[in-house]
Amino acid sequence: MTEPSSRAHRGLHPPQVTRSSAAFTASAAGRVARQRLAQPNGWWGMALFLCAEVALFGTMISSYFYLDFDAHRWPPAGIPDPSVLWPSIGTAVLVAMSFPMWLAARSAIAGRRGRVLGLVSGAMIVQGCYLGLQIILLIQDLHKFKPQGSAYGSIYYTLLVAHHAHVLFGLLLDLTILVFVSFRGLTNYWLIGVRSLALYWHVVNVIAVFVLVVTLAPSL
Amino acid sequence: MATVITDQGRQHVDRLARIWEERPGILGWITTTDHKRIGLMYFFTALVMFGAGGTEALLMRTQLIGPNHHLLSPEAYDEMFTMHGITMIFLFVIPMTTGAFGNYLLPLMIGARDMAFPRMNALSYWIYLGSGLLMYIALAQGHAPNAGWFDYVPLASKQFDPGNNIDYYGYGLIFNGISSTAASINFIVTIFKMRAPGMSLNRMPLFCFAFLAVAFALLFALPSLTVAALFLELDRQLGFHFYDVAFGGDPLLWQNLFWIFGHPEVYIIILPAFGIATAIIPTFAHRRMVFFPLVALGEILVAFLGFGVWVHHMFTVGFATITTVYFAAASLIIVIPSGIQLFAWIATILTGTPDFKTPLLFIVGFIVYFMLGGLSGVTLAAIPFDQQVHDSYYVVAHFHFVIFGAAVFPILGGMYFWFPKVTGRLYNERLGKISFWVTFIGTFITFFPMHIVGILGMPRRNYTYAAHLGWTLLNFIESIGAYILATGLLMIVVNLAISLFKGPPAGNDPFEGDTLEWSTTSPPPPYNYPVIPTVSSPYPMWDKDDRELDNRRLARGEGLLELGHETPATTAQDAIWDEILKMPSHSAWPPVTALTLFGVFFMLVMAHYWIAGGFLAACGLSLIGWHYKGVRV
Amino acid sequence: MLLWWWMLGVATIVFLGAMVMLVMAWTKRGVPGLPFLGERENLAEGLVLIFGIAIPLVVLVALFGVSDVYLVGQTSPPNPKTTAMTIDVIGHQWWWEVHYPSTGAVTANEIHIPVDTRVNVVATTADVIHSFWVPALNRKIDMIPGRRNRILLDATKTGEYRGQCSQFCGVQHAHMALEVFVQTPAAFRAWLANMSAPARTPTTPEEQAGKTLFMNSSCASCHTIAGTAAAGTVGPNLTHVASRTTLAAVTIPNTPAEMEAWISNPQAIKPGDRMPDLGLPHSEVVEITDYLESLH
Repeated sequence: MTEPSSRAHRGLHPPQVTRSSAAFTASAAGRVARQRLAQPNGWWGMALFLCAEVALFGTMISSYFYLDFDAHRWPPAGIPDPSVLWPSIGTAVLVAMSFPMWLAARSAIAGRRGRVLGLVSGAMIVQGCYLGLQIILLIQDLHKFKPQGSAYGSIYYTLLVAHHAHVLFGLLLDLTILVFVSFRGLTNYWLIGVRSLALYWHVVNVIAVFVLVVTLAPSL
Repeated sequence: MATVITDQGRQHVDRLARIWEERPGILGWITTTDHKRIGLMYFFTALVMFGAGGTEALLMRTQLIGPNHHLLSPEAYDEMFTMHGITMIFLFVIPMTTGAFGNYLLPLMIGARDMAFPRMNALSYWIYLGSGLLMYIALAQGHAPNAGWFDYVPLASKQFDPGNNIDYYGYGLIFNGISSTAASINFIVTIFKMRAPGMSLNRMPLFCFAFLAVAFALLFALPSLTVAALFLELDRQLGFHFYDVAFGGDPLLWQNLFWIFGHPEVYIIILPAFGIATAIIPTFAHRRMVFFPLVALGEILVAFLGFGVWVHHMFTVGFATITTVYFAAASLIIVIPSGIQLFAWIATILTGTPDFKTPLLFIVGFIVYFMLGGLSGVTLAAIPFDQQVHDSYYVVAHFHFVIFGAAVFPILGGMYFWFPKVTGRLYNERLGKISFWVTFIGTFITFFPMHIVGILGMPRRNYTYAAHLGWTLLNFIESIGAYILATGLLMIVVNLAISLFKGPPAGNDPFEGDTLEWSTTSPPPPYNYPVIPTVSSPYPMWDKDDRELDNRRLARGEGLLELGHETPATTAQDAIWDEILKMPSHSAWPPVTALTLFGVFFMLVMAHYWIAGGFLAACGLSLIGWHYKGVRV
Repeated sequence: MLLWWWMLGVATIVFLGAMVMLVMAWTKRGVPGLPFLGERENLAEGLVLIFGIAIPLVVLVALFGVSDVYLVGQTSPPNPKTTAMTIDVIGHQWWWEVHYPSTGAVTANEIHIPVDTRVNVVATTADVIHSFWVPALNRKIDMIPGRRNRILLDATKTGEYRGQCSQFCGVQHAHMALEVFVQTPAAFRAWLANMSAPARTPTTPEEQAGKTLFMNSSCASCHTIAGTAAAGTVGPNLTHVASRTTLAAVTIPNTPAEMEAWISNPQAIKPGDRMPDLGLPHSEVVEITDYLESLH
C-alpha cells in the first residue's frame, strides 16, 4: 500500500501515503480518511461549487434590495407583508438537520456505515417535510399575489424557488448517498460523498437563513 | 535536460504506456478523459470559433469600408456584431485560454498526470461545444441574438425583441457558464491538490498562478451573469418584471448584474495571456522572471480588484457624481498591479540575453498593445472624457487593443511556443516571424484609427454612416487593416499546418524551457511523466540536479505509481505527498450528460418546459451512471 | 478637450519610455543585465518598482485629481435653478421628440437654443435606452426608462451642431441623429414664437388637397399637426415640418423631392423604421408633400 521511502527525498515519500481508492470497506475507508493530511479532492470540489452557489444567492439577494430601494412601497400596494411564523419554524427545523448531517460525516470518518445510513435517512425525512411545508406556503402566497404582477413578486418567488430547488437537489443527493452506501458500501469514494453531502447541507442551511430573513424583511 | 530512459527504465515506461493507452479511433476521442486530448479538442473547436467570429468581423468591416453600403441589412449587421462579441468572448478566447492552454499545460507544469476531475474536464468540453452549437443554430435559423453582446434591456425584452433571438442568448450563456464553472473548480482543485510533491506554492510556475486567479474570478463572476440571464428569461418567457419600469423593475438592474460579471470577465480574458507571457519570457530571455513574488501577487490582485470597478461601464447612466468618482478611482488602482507585471516583463527581457524568436516576438507585440490599450483604458477612467467617448469607436479601439492585441497575441505566441511540445515538430521560424509582423501591422492599422474616428463622433454599432461626416477615410483604412490582419492570421495557421506534416523533429526541449513539460517527450505520453518529478524551484528544468535525480529514480523504479492510472495528491500549501489517487480513464458519461443538458437548454429556448424537464431527468440519470462505479469506469 | 490633449501627451511619453526599453532589449540583447547599469538584480527590481508603482501612482493621482475631482463637476447635470430654460427631449425608436414646456412648442429631431444661455435638457425615453450626445457641446447622457436625466447645453458660438444617439437602440440606431441650432437670442425668440403657433392653413388647392389626404389616410393616426384633426403621437410632430433642415432624424435633407421619396417608400431609406410603406399613388404623395412643405 505504500511507496518505498528514500533518504533522497524525505517528505516526498512519507511512510503512510495511501492508495486511497483501494479502500472498499468502511473500516478501510475510515482509516484512509483519518490519515489524510488535506481535505479530499471531492470535498474540495463540492466546497468550490458551493462558493459559486453562495455568489448566486448573494447576487439574487442584492437584486432584492436593489429593487426594494428603488421602490416607493415595498411590497407594493395590494400585496400583504409576508407572514413570519411558519417560514421561520420551517427554516429552524431545516437548519437543525445540519446536526445529524455533521454526525453522519463524523460517523463516516469513523467507518460506521450503519450510523451513516440511519442519520442520513432520518435527516432526509425531515428535510422532505420541510420542502413539503414550503411548497404549501408557496401555493398560499400564489393565491395572494403572482410573480407576474410586480417586480416584488418576481424577485420574491424567484429567490424562494431557487432556494427550494437547492433543497430538492439536496434530497436527491441524500437519496443517492443512501442507495450507493447501502449497495456499494462505505467505500473511500462514497465516504467522500457523505462528507460532501454534509457540507452541501451546511451551506444550503446558511443560505436558507439568509433567504428567510430577506423574504421576510418587510415584516421584520 | 530531458528525461533519459535506460534499459531498466524502459520496462517501467512500457508498463505505464500499456496502462495509460488511449482507446483507439473516434470513440477514443469521444470518451477520453485525458487532459491533453481534451485540450486539443478545445483548441480546434476554439479555432473554428475564431474563424467564425473573424468572418463576422470581416463582414462588418467590409460593410463599413465606405458610407451607405448595402452588403448587410441593418438586421443582419446587428446579428453580426452581437454574434461577433459572443463568439469571440465566450466561444473563442475563454475556451482557448482556459480550455486549450490551461487544460493541456497545467497538469504538465505541476508534474501531475491529469486534472483533479478528468471526467468533469471532458464534460466541460462537451458542454462548451453544445453551447457553441446552440448559438450557431440560432444564427442558422436567422434568429441570432441581435442586441449586442451585453444585450441591454428594454431593447432585449420581449416587447422590443419578440422572436427567440434573445432566448438563445440568455439560455446559451447560462449553458456556457456551466462549462466554465466546472472548469474553474477543476483548475482550483488541481492547482491546490495535485502538484508534484515538493512543489510548494512559492515554487509553482507563474503560469499556474495566473490560471488560479482566472479560475477564482470565473467562479465568482459567472453567477452574476447566470442570475442576470435567468431574470431576463423569466421576464421574457414567463412575464416576470425584473427589468420592467412599469411594474417596479429597473433596466439598470440588468446593467449592474451584467457588468458585475462583465468587468471581471475581461480580466479573466487577459490573465491567462499574462500567464502565457510569464512562461515564454524567462525561456527566451534565458533568465528568471524579475521580482517573481510581486508578479504572482500582481496577477492575483488584478483578478481580485477587477470585481470592484464595474460601474465604469455605466458612467453616462446618470448616477450621482460620488458614485462615478469612486468607481473611477477603483479603476485607476488596477493600473498598479498591471504596471508591476508589465515592467517586470520588460525588465526580464532587458536584463536577460533575449532570443527574439517568434514566440517572444508575439509577447513583445503583446506588451506594446497592452501598453496602448491600457493607456487608452486609463483615459477612460477620466470621467468627463469617458462621458464624451463612451459607446463610440474610441472604446471599440481600447478593448480591441487589450483583447486582441493583449489577450490574443500571447495565444498566438503560445501556439508557436508549445507547437513543438504538442506535435513533436518544429514550426518554420522565418515564416513565423513574417506572420508576426503581418499580424502586428494589421492589428495596428485596423484598430488605431478607431481611436480617432471615435473622438470624431462615430458611435458604435452603426451599420452604416453618412459620407459627409469625415469618417470615410478612417473606416476605409480600418477595413484594409482588417484584411491585412486576416492574412497574418492565415499565415500563422498555414505555417503550423504545414509544419505539422513537414517540420523537423523537435526533441523534448528545443527552447531550453524552464517548466516541467519540457522534460518529457514531444508529444508527451498519455501518462505525462514516467516518474513523478522532483521539484525545488519554479524553474524545474533549470535545476539540473533534480532532473538527474529523476533519471536515477526512473532506473530504480521509484516514484512511478504504475499500479494503475495513478497520480499523487498533495497538501494545498506545501505539497506534502498525501495520497495516491486512482484516475478514471475513458468514460461515455461526460458526453452523454452534456447531450442531455443540451436538450434541456434547447427546449428552454423553445419554451417547451415539460420536455426540458424530461431532459433534466435524463441528466440526473446520466449523473447516476457517472458515479455508478466510483472511479472504476 | 484640453484634458484629452494632456492625457495623450502623458500617455505618449509613458508609451515611448516603455518602447525605448524594448528597443534597448533588442539592441543590447547579447549582454545580460541592465544597459549602462549592470547586472545587479535589485536594480532590475528597482526598475519595476519605479516604473510599475511609483510613476504610475503619481500620474494616476494627478489624473484623478484633475479629471475626477475638478473637471467632473463641469459635466454634472446642472442645478435647474442655474439654468435659463428647460427643454424636454424624449428618445424614440428612431427619432427625437423635443418639447419646449414654456410655450408648448413641439418639434422633432431639431433643437434650437439661444447662444450663451444655460439650457437644461431633460432626457427621457419612450421605449428603449437611447443616449443623447452632441459631441461639440457636451458629454452624452443616457435616456433610460424610469429616469429623468438632465444635461447642460451652454453654447458660446452660434452655428449648427450635430448629435447622434449613442446607445444601441435597435435596427435604425445608425440613423438617429439630431441637429442643434445655436442662434442669437432674437433669432431664437422668433423661432420659438413661430413654433408655438398652430400650423399654417393651406393657401393653394394642391396644399388643400394634400391636407385632406393627410387627414383621411393613416398619416393622421401617427402624426400631430397642431390646429388640425391630426393628433397621432407615434411619429414626429409635423406642425412646422417645413422649417426643419432634414427629415427622418437627419437621414435625408428636407427638400420636396426627398420628402416625396420618403413618403413613397420609407423602408427603402430607413429599413426597419416604424413608418410603413403606405402604398399611395404618386399624385397623392406629391399633394401631401405640397401640404407638408407649406408647414413652415
